[in-house]
Amino acid sequence: MNLENNSNEVNLEENRKKYYPRLFRKFIFLTVLCSLVPLLIVGWGINFHYTSLSKERVMTLLKTYVEHHRKIIELFLSEHSSKLQLIAHSHSIEYLRQVPNLNEIFEIINKDNWSVTDIGLIDDSGAHIAYVGPYDLMKKNYSKTLWFKEVMSKGLYISDMFTGFRNEPHFIIAVTRTENNKKWILRATINPEVFRSLVENVSIGKTGEVYLLNKDGIFQTTPRFHGKIMEKASFPIEPIHEGIRVRVIEKDSYNPSNSRQIVCETWLDTPKWLLVVKQSYKEAFYAVNHANYATLIFLHVSAITILIVAIFITKHMITVIQNRDKEADQLNKQLMQAGKLASIGELSAGVAHEINTPLAIILTERQLMIDCASIHPISDPDFLEQFNDSMNQIDVQIHRCKRITQNLLRFSRRTKSVLETIDINHFIREVIELMEREARTNGIKFFAELDNKILSVVSDPSQLQQVFLNIITNAIDAHDEKPYGSIRIKTEEDKIREGVIMLFTDTGSGIPQELIDKIFDPFFTTKPVGKGTGLGLSICYSTMKNLGGSISVSSELGKGTTITLFIPYKPPKELAKDMAASN
Amino acid sequence: MTGSKILLVDDEIVFTKNISKLLKYRGFKVTAVNSGDAAIQELEKSSYDVIVLDLKMPGMDGITTLKEIQKLGLFSQTLILTGHGSVDSAMDAIKLGAYDYLVKPCEIDELVNKINGAWERKEDIISLG
Repeated sequence: MNLENNSNEVNLEENRKKYYPRLFRKFIFLTVLCSLVPLLIVGWGINFHYTSLSKERVMTLLKTYVEHHRKIIELFLSEHSSKLQLIAHSHSIEYLRQVPNLNEIFEIINKDNWSVTDIGLIDDSGAHIAYVGPYDLMKKNYSKTLWFKEVMSKGLYISDMFTGFRNEPHFIIAVTRTENNKKWILRATINPEVFRSLVENVSIGKTGEVYLLNKDGIFQTTPRFHGKIMEKASFPIEPIHEGIRVRVIEKDSYNPSNSRQIVCETWLDTPKWLLVVKQSYKEAFYAVNHANYATLIFLHVSAITILIVAIFITKHMITVIQNRDKEADQLNKQLMQAGKLASIGELSAGVAHEINTPLAIILTERQLMIDCASIHPISDPDFLEQFNDSMNQIDVQIHRCKRITQNLLRFSRRTKSVLETIDINHFIREVIELMEREARTNGIKFFAELDNKILSVVSDPSQLQQVFLNIITNAIDAHDEKPYGSIRIKTEEDKIREGVIMLFTDTGSGIPQELIDKIFDPFFTTKPVGKGTGLGLSICYSTMKNLGGSISVSSELGKGTTITLFIPYKPPKELAKDMAASN
Repeated sequence: MTGSKILLVDDEIVFTKNISKLLKYRGFKVTAVNSGDAAIQELEKSSYDVIVLDLKMPGMDGITTLKEIQKLGLFSQTLILTGHGSVDSAMDAIKLGAYDYLVKPCEIDELVNKINGAWERKEDIISLG
């Protein structure tokens, strides 16, 4: 049975060892499931949504910017085309061929900014009639040039960039007018610097660039990075299309910038030039990505914080639960102890009574023998000696039995206690005085550390005295193997539980740990056979319970034992009620 | 007091026999009965100085027997013998008018002392009228 109990306890202990880590994991899992997972899902969701919206917004802004820039370029070109058309149609060839007149018009055009480099009047054979500008072009004939042919056939022509006679990249706008059945051409060279500043100098951030390409992929302006005006682009260009196209190009052979880029492209109406706006993807979405990273960092730091806090709280909770379980175990043990004592107490009363009657008979039989021996004296001295020895031994053993039964009865009885106000310090001093002689003969000294601040308790003095005597007797007996020792008795106040704590610390042999749980069991004794009944501490236990207090023990083998008593200032209500009823 | 008449009431026959002998050796006149009913009958027939009464008996117990004895209105003093050892039951008996109590097992000298005490009390009561 005992083996079975022990194995059950071991199983319980092993289950407990597994139970707490399992509980810990369960708590952490639930915390993660109920707080972290929703947090991360919502966080990531919002982040994704916000990032998409922000990127869309950046793209829209870029498109708007490209659209705006295209309009500015187109407006510049159409404005200059219109100006030339207006001059050609409002002035006759005769007027314009006069250089001062043409010069006046040239200055009027360039009044606000120097957007036209030169202006020339050309007849239908391609020869210059008049020219105002920095170059000496009067003798040049344009009849074989592309632009001449185009303007003669279309009436208005904006050329691509070309070097021409001046050997510098430039482009011209030319218009025709037919006067007296003869066509003549008014041609203006657009100041490449002004145009380039209009197109190129508009940079976007540190990585943005804007440039123009013609249908053949020749740069019409110099890109900010990689490439020059009049050079052919190293990458294929988009076919002509309506509106604005946005694409993201990864770093590859067509992307000399070596990083992911956003490219916005739109074709101008006249001339057919492709306006390209490029920016590094990283820079374009810097603000978005920055916000994105900040949000994600905040989100993950929050998640980690929650996890760490959850781990700490859970650990704390597990510790609290463990402590509660330990307290519950302790209570259960005490409850079991109380139950054991109650049932053994009832049994003890019956046993004591049943033994007392035969003991009484044995005692009377002994007395009869002695009486008989006195009436009829025993003549044989050996027999007489044996007779006397036996009678004495019977007497000793009967008294031993009587002591056992009295202890049993004291243990089991529900005495009608008398409640008195007791000064514990004074009371324990009296008990020490009572026991001092016996202790001294065993080489044991008493030391008392009595707290003068403790209040008087209302309790049963006779029962308390019995408890103190039992504890001190045990403490003295614990020194059997030692030539000397001490018993230290300390009193102190327990403000929380409202009572007095008494510590009886001896320097005796101590109690092995495996026996600690059993010392309050009836009939359990570590004393030699015949010396202890095993009831002393059981009586102490039931008495302290009865008085509303408690008793506990701690011990170190070889060093000594401490018995701790708690005595409440006031007795339990039930006990006080019983007293009142019985009195 | 030597010569006093003692009625011994106990259900344990061996015990009553032994105590009877011991008391007789010490000069008492002892009659032993083994139940409460027998004790009442005996008291109705004869008078006794001291009644030694066991509390725990089958049938009529010691307390009931004591109550019945009180009803007879005798001068006899009752001495309670109890194996119970509990103060409570003996105290109840004393409240009912018993002279004193003794816890079994007890020394014969102690019993004799108590019997003498009871006899003296009885004598006192008679002399006071």
